[in-house]
Amino acid sequence: MSRPKIGVYWAASCGGCDCSLLEVNEQILDVAAAADIVLWPCAIDTKYDDLRAMRDGEMDLVLFNGAIRTSENREMAQLLRRKTRLLAAYGSCAHTGGVIGLANLSDREELFGTVYGEPDRWPSTETEDEGRSLELPRFLERLTPLSETVKVDYIVPGCPPPREIVSRLFSALLYGELPPPGAVFASDKNLCEECPREREHTRITRIVRVHEAEPDPERCLLDQGYVCMGPATRGGCGAVCPAANMPCTGCAGPTSAIEDQGAAMLNTLASLVGTGEEGEDQLAAEDEILAQVADLMGTFYRFSSACSVLGRNHHERR
Amino acid sequence: MHYPANVIPIRVNCSGRVDAGMVLKALEKGADGVLIGGCHPGDCHYVNGNYKTRRRVTLLRRALCEVGVDPRRVRLEWISASEGARFAHTIEAFTDEIRTLGRSPVAALTGGGDE
Repeated sequence: MSRPKIGVYWAASCGGCDCSLLEVNEQILDVAAAADIVLWPCAIDTKYDDLRAMRDGEMDLVLFNGAIRTSENREMAQLLRRKTRLLAAYGSCAHTGGVIGLANLSDREELFGTVYGEPDRWPSTETEDEGRSLELPRFLERLTPLSETVKVDYIVPGCPPPREIVSRLFSALLYGELPPPGAVFASDKNLCEECPREREHTRITRIVRVHEAEPDPERCLLDQGYVCMGPATRGGCGAVCPAANMPCTGCAGPTSAIEDQGAAMLNTLASLVGTGEEGEDQLAAEDEILAQVADLMGTFYRFSSACSVLGRNHHERR
Repeated sequence: MHYPANVIPIRVNCSGRVDAGMVLKALEKGADGVLIGGCHPGDCHYVNGNYKTRRRVTLLRRALCEVGVDPRRVRLEWISASEGARFAHTIEAFTDEIRTLGRSPVAALTGGGDE
């Protein structure tokens, strides 16, 4: 590859992914020196028309962060898919829908009602001014990960992707060693494999939430009753959250062996919960422990609800 | 032994083999309800598979409630391998209950973020 042309785009995202690109420190200068950054809305001024004027496949790699929430997000995903040879879902929102995927548990009307109040105060997407009409992007019924709109070549997981992973991606780009499409820039083993904590395989006799008590820094967080998503989550970040005494929240998504991350964690937790004894007389006590798990969707599916059949309100029962 | 013909049996070695993802997959593929038959407490050949699945079903039913699905669509019953009549009767009762609930809303809603 001669001088690669790369782009960075943000759809429905918080901006953290864009910041994470700078966490590689001076390596970003190597990238800027060796590659042409032709698109990066938060850093350089590229017009959509400039993109439309490009040849198909003119860019070599686009890092796409954010989920598909509006018609503009979707249109840009389709445009960028045509204009780049390789497209990466960068960060949790592009990869699995992310935290904002939990918005799918409410309808558009409920969301607008919460944010704007009565329907007469909702924003209009079409405005007439001096005889000219202006159209704003539409808010789609449901938020989706990038891969539901277009084919994705690479996955760069994390919320945001951690420095080591971003750095590995840039190194591959700079040395012309980008992997074949389908690659995931992370481990395919679960997070526990790289977690430094001591696992004792004790039964979980009570569930503890992070604001209730400070965990022992050496022992496995699950052993201590914290719902740590490690068993259902892809490693590759170096278990930075458990190392900082916080349970894993699952931002990297599941390993390739797991289809539904939240369901996998639910299974794991249910298997671990117990009073220490087993039998019919323990069932009520087990139920009491299970009742301590709060906000199941926000816990098991914090980043991946948009990928699950559970990730929307089915309106059968409230 | 007769039981309703609209049931699709899926054989597993132990109710403890049934994980939440399999139940969700069945609902996604169009099942209006999922019945899990496990061995009676104390009778598990694998020691504690039935207790594990019981805890999973407890959590899964709560998750279904959180997303507006009637938890009666997923049921766990203790039915041992020798209880043919109980098996047939349970399926009949479950089918009746699901029929009163109607079609599951889960299967109908797959696909992209339409406007």
